[in-house]
Amino acid sequence: MNSKWMVSACLAAGVMLAATTALHSQDGPRTPDGKPDFSGIYTAPSTVNAKGPRGNLIFNADKMAPVKPGAESLLYEPRTGDARHDEPRAVCMPSGFPSGMLYILPIQIVQNSKYIVIIPELQRAARIIPLDGRPHREGIEPTYYGDSVGRWEGDTLVIDTINFKRWILDDYHYTDRTKSRWHSDALHTTEHLRREGNKLQYRITIDDPKIFTRPFSQDFELTLRPDWDKLGLLEYVCEENNRCSGGNCKADPQ
Amino acid sequence: MTRYVLILSFLVWGLATSQSVLAHHSEVAEYDPEKPVKVTGTISKVEWQNPHVWFYVDVKDEQGKVTTWGFSTAPPGALLRRGVTKDALKIGAVVNVQGSRARDGSSNASGRSVTFADGRNVLMAGEDAR
Repeated sequence: MNSKWMVSACLAAGVMLAATTALHSQDGPRTPDGKPDFSGIYTAPSTVNAKGPRGNLIFNADKMAPVKPGAESLLYEPRTGDARHDEPRAVCMPSGFPSGMLYILPIQIVQNSKYIVIIPELQRAARIIPLDGRPHREGIEPTYYGDSVGRWEGDTLVIDTINFKRWILDDYHYTDRTKSRWHSDALHTTEHLRREGNKLQYRITIDDPKIFTRPFSQDFELTLRPDWDKLGLLEYVCEENNRCSGGNCKADPQ
Repeated sequence: MTRYVLILSFLVWGLATSQSVLAHHSEVAEYDPEKPVKVTGTISKVEWQNPHVWFYVDVKDEQGKVTTWGFSTAPPGALLRRGVTKDALKIGAVVNVQGSRARDGSSNASGRSVTFADGRNVLMAGEDAR
């Protein structure tokens, strides 16, 4: 190997290293321990590759993985007329994850070196995610929001969530009066969060081996709103005056 | 009725295409976008509560019969972030409201736009509605 080739190879490696570093580092505020600071209130996500009514989480079917043979009935549940089944959120049941986080109301992120806390205004269902390398909890019954642990990969926060109760996957039923879309109890999500200026780039990977032939990802973008800090998140008590409690909105007859 | 429509010259169709922007329930199941509602009347009651602010408008027809319409709109938090406070919906104020009628045929609707006599329009859902 001649020296000229060696120099070229070293230069190329240096360029690649610099590019990689740029790719994985971010400008912007950092916490005392040097991690990217995600703290703040964010708008609801804008869909990057999803479609549907603006602001509600409806996965883009074109980007979803193929459904396993026979699993269609696990993914789609016919509308029954019972709101507790058809759209649980309408009767103040938990929205669940991911639909409860990627909703039209803002989320707030609170962060320190041990935890990142993601608080959607909707139902105030805070996700308290440990960052200390602990494994998932064991012996816990499946839940609507699953069990999450987080870790840093460079400047990207990766959140791994398992142990879900079977529940509505997204707001597909906002577009189709005949059925709703569900995930199974085998759902495993991986979220990648990365801050770019005042944007939070958010990717969620859905791995539901009882339904889909392979994992698939969808991308969203959330915008930091420092101007909302003063007001903060508002209370959201769904039971306060839920006029849609039967799944059929009724005005006060007065 | 016609008189009120003449007084209120600003009719805003801001939300005509964004059916589910404000709902924690499926608007497509509850309200029929093919049945738009436009009424003008007097605010008679306001429920500034979660999960949706409701307000009621007394609408008088040409025979003098009063029908009370109930309108559902955004949660209080979403309205506050748009700068809309409870004071914006004053009892007794004359308003023009547009929305989508409930599928059950009752006098309730999803309120999408409220225009006051002075032309101010509130409850519009733009980006800040989120």
